[in-house]
Amino acid sequence: MDLSDFEANNSVSCRLSSAIPDVCKTEDCCLGIDEAGRGPVLGPMVYGICYCPVSKKDDLKDLKVADSKTLTEAERENLFHKLDEAKSFVGWALQILSPNTISNSMLQRAKYNLNALSHDAAIGLVQYALDCGVQLKEVFVDTVGPAEKYQEKLSQRFPGVEVTVRPKADSLFPIVSAASICAKVARDHAVKSWRFVEDLGDVDTDYGSGYPNDPKTKSWLLKYLDPVFGYPQFVRFSWSTAQSLLDSKAVPVYWDDDEEDGEKAAARMNCASMLSYFSRGKAQSSAREPHRFFTERRLQSLDTL
Amino acid sequence: MQRMSANGSVTSLQLGSVAGAEKPDVHLLPCEIEHDGPAEVTRYFTAALKDRKHEKSVSFRGRGLKGQEVSCPHGYTGLVLRENHKPTSDQEDRTVRVSSVFHRFTYWNLDTPPTSDDGVVMAMAWPEIAEAIHGLVDD
Repeated sequence: MDLSDFEANNSVSCRLSSAIPDVCKTEDCCLGIDEAGRGPVLGPMVYGICYCPVSKKDDLKDLKVADSKTLTEAERENLFHKLDEAKSFVGWALQILSPNTISNSMLQRAKYNLNALSHDAAIGLVQYALDCGVQLKEVFVDTVGPAEKYQEKLSQRFPGVEVTVRPKADSLFPIVSAASICAKVARDHAVKSWRFVEDLGDVDTDYGSGYPNDPKTKSWLLKYLDPVFGYPQFVRFSWSTAQSLLDSKAVPVYWDDDEEDGEKAAARMNCASMLSYFSRGKAQSSAREPHRFFTERRLQSLDTL
Repeated sequence: MQRMSANGSVTSLQLGSVAGAEKPDVHLLPCEIEHDGPAEVTRYFTAALKDRKHEKSVSFRGRGLKGQEVSCPHGYTGLVLRENHKPTSDQEDRTVRVSSVFHRFTYWNLDTPPTSDDGVVMAMAWPEIAEAIHGLVDD
């Protein structure tokens, strides 16, 4: 699998895809959707679709694709190779959500949660297949959240397509297994050959599975913690594992949209807390408030440092 | 040597070092970092900064920032001051020296690109406005 488009800029989201098999533009097709790397605190999350003519479902079964989680890395590579050999009737597309995209989205002012991010990635990929002329009739989706609501959302978004959302769909429908293999192979490659945008020299790549409970991942997170910048972009800052390590080991950073209360916040925001009324400090100078022109520009006249 | 005084103590600013002062890149971030000292700016920040199609972007602590270069007002120089000995009381005289100078800096906003309506960008016009208000009027 060639990830060079993603590797050229791994700070953003990237779409990779196979050529569209001609037969998929003329025959009714089924399409599977699955994701890889939802849980890890390290590396990208990959959404994958795989599609083929409904009439070729049995040929796909003969390739013996299975749920990617039950396979070894070598087996997945092998199966992806087989899918590639079947390119006359099997197509795929991937949306690689970089860890930086995940952090930025989940931590933006108007929070964009992982479920919404995932749904939008899946919808974007189905729309891509439709835009390319794939004659979609059936869509099968693996889900971790409540299946009914998601199925309703997708059915409404894609009228005329029969949508089936099912937990563990990757072990029930071969076309979903195929999608999960494509996604997992991309995630494995991306993590293994991660090019750090930061200037960190030779980085220890022994980061384990990337799951927060993996001791190797934990010690890697401790080793690469910078007190000011926190982590390289390879880490998902929005994960509680990363957040709590930063809270305890890095210097505090305050943003104007932080939700904080109490006297400390009041002091930082330079306004009086309730308690200040009980202790009389120095008399405030009775000088005039500066004009709005200056406060809006945060200009202050300075007589002491 | 410039002086200002408050509370009976005198603060002296040593300007002698301006000419030979360093001119590092200066970044103004939309957050408060509780840290005063060296930081791995080049390694973590500058190296990851993207400058594409006139839009600068970078992340800090996982949050997306968009930036714009802002020049100091014409005829002005930005100074970064350093105090070697912190005074122990407000009666003590203080001496600060110029540790570096800058003529432009990168102004960063959270999520959205800076605009000409942002306070910091507007503030740079003040010296010109002040000149127009307070300057001598030719007859």
